[in-house]
Amino acid sequence: MGKVIVVTSGKGGVGKTTSTANLGTALALLGKTVVVVDADVGLRNLDIVMGLESRIVYTSMDVIEKQCELSKALVRDRRVDGLMLLAASQKNNKDDIQPEQMKAICDKLRTAHDFVLVDSPAGIERGFSNASAGADEAIVVTTPDVSAIRDADRIIGLLQNARIEPINLVLNRFSPELVGNGSMMDQADVLDILNINLIGVVPEDSGVITSTNRGIPLVYEDGSPGAQAYMRIARRLTGQRIPIHDFEQKGLFSNILNWFTRKR
Amino acid sequence: MANSIVALRAYGDGLHLIIRPHLSIAEVEAAIQQEISRMNRSLAGTSVQIDLKSPTLKEEEIELLSSKLQETYDLTVRGVEVADEPIAPPIAAAPTTHIISQTTDTRPSRDSELSRIVPNTIRSGQTEEFPQGSLIIYGDVNSGGEVKAGGDIVVLGTLRGSAYAGMNGRLSAVIIAMDFAPLKLQIGNYVNRSSVNQQPRGYPEIARIGAEDVIIVEKFVKF
Repeated sequence: MGKVIVVTSGKGGVGKTTSTANLGTALALLGKTVVVVDADVGLRNLDIVMGLESRIVYTSMDVIEKQCELSKALVRDRRVDGLMLLAASQKNNKDDIQPEQMKAICDKLRTAHDFVLVDSPAGIERGFSNASAGADEAIVVTTPDVSAIRDADRIIGLLQNARIEPINLVLNRFSPELVGNGSMMDQADVLDILNINLIGVVPEDSGVITSTNRGIPLVYEDGSPGAQAYMRIARRLTGQRIPIHDFEQKGLFSNILNWFTRKR
Repeated sequence: MANSIVALRAYGDGLHLIIRPHLSIAEVEAAIQQEISRMNRSLAGTSVQIDLKSPTLKEEEIELLSSKLQETYDLTVRGVEVADEPIAPPIAAAPTTHIISQTTDTRPSRDSELSRIVPNTIRSGQTEEFPQGSLIIYGDVNSGGEVKAGGDIVVLGTLRGSAYAGMNGRLSAVIIAMDFAPLKLQIGNYVNRSSVNQQPRGYPEIARIGAEDVIIVEKFVKF
């Protein structure tokens, strides 16, 4: 029996879809069977980030309307074994799906796969309740800025009300340089406010943009810091204990300070 | 963001020691010591420029500070720059005064009052309401969260959201938090918003209605 994990954030643009695509791919690379589900009905994106947009025939809407079997609607990713995508319908909107229908799909998917990752839309309305309806666990993605953190806080409250546990935090787009010169919140500040388990820190990585545009999730290229961060999170999701990487060690601030003090 | 009063920054022309609005020179000295001890490298022999963000330090105090920097850390002060516009002092509530010692005792009998313990953090968008008595929060009240009580409110964490004590009109109600950075305070029919970018001061604080009919926030000393 697999786990259903909703990937959510409240605020848009913090990296839910990128995180879903990369964690799904990373888990598959680790040998797990994974379905990534796009719950952003009407504004689907996960297919593009996964590079599978040209191969979608059926969507979750067709499954709900009984136009096709669930297994037919799953798009297999040919680059790695055990990875599938269930796309959202682009022509419907979020109110066309009921939370119970999403839950039924998730429950069916979990019987045959190790992980079901549901990519939630931004917001706290129907799209969010659809995405979280079938979830056992949640991953909350946030960036270290106050507006994203307040929205994450709101979402955590809603997830707790829905008894979805554990709730793990991914701190995305983290910039050691900006933390070093004091213009970005550090990890401790974020955790002090949100007070949930941190499952990983993903550094700001310009490779994300190119990988999104090419439809090749970052984790296929081992070298980049972002890819390594997502691989570590995937390992933690499979139960491995890996310490949180400390990106703050090589802060620009201390480097500049070192340079100054050496010079005089 | 460990130190809200003093920051060391490296700019193109060298090191700057930034001093933000504060209460006393003792507070500034303690903050400087904390900031410098955070550096794992000695600053001996370097020079700094002091940037005063508000004209709160007197000239002789600046001189004293400069000589202390020289003596203790071997830091030469190469200049002092004071921000022209006085910035509002960092108090929890904008139109009130910040008092360090507690003066009056307006405590009513709280003997027969009910209280409710909330064993978790109040997150953004959540409201905890208890008109029958006082609320004790074993956690934070985050930005966007709200606590309301007929009696007092005690937050055993950081108060970042809004708190409304004495919601049935009891003006003797108080709001106490271990770290105080609220968006909005209300006691009875008195409302106060916070100043911009309020940072916790590192000690427990209490808000109550003071003698001049405004909500005052001060260091919490035992009742």
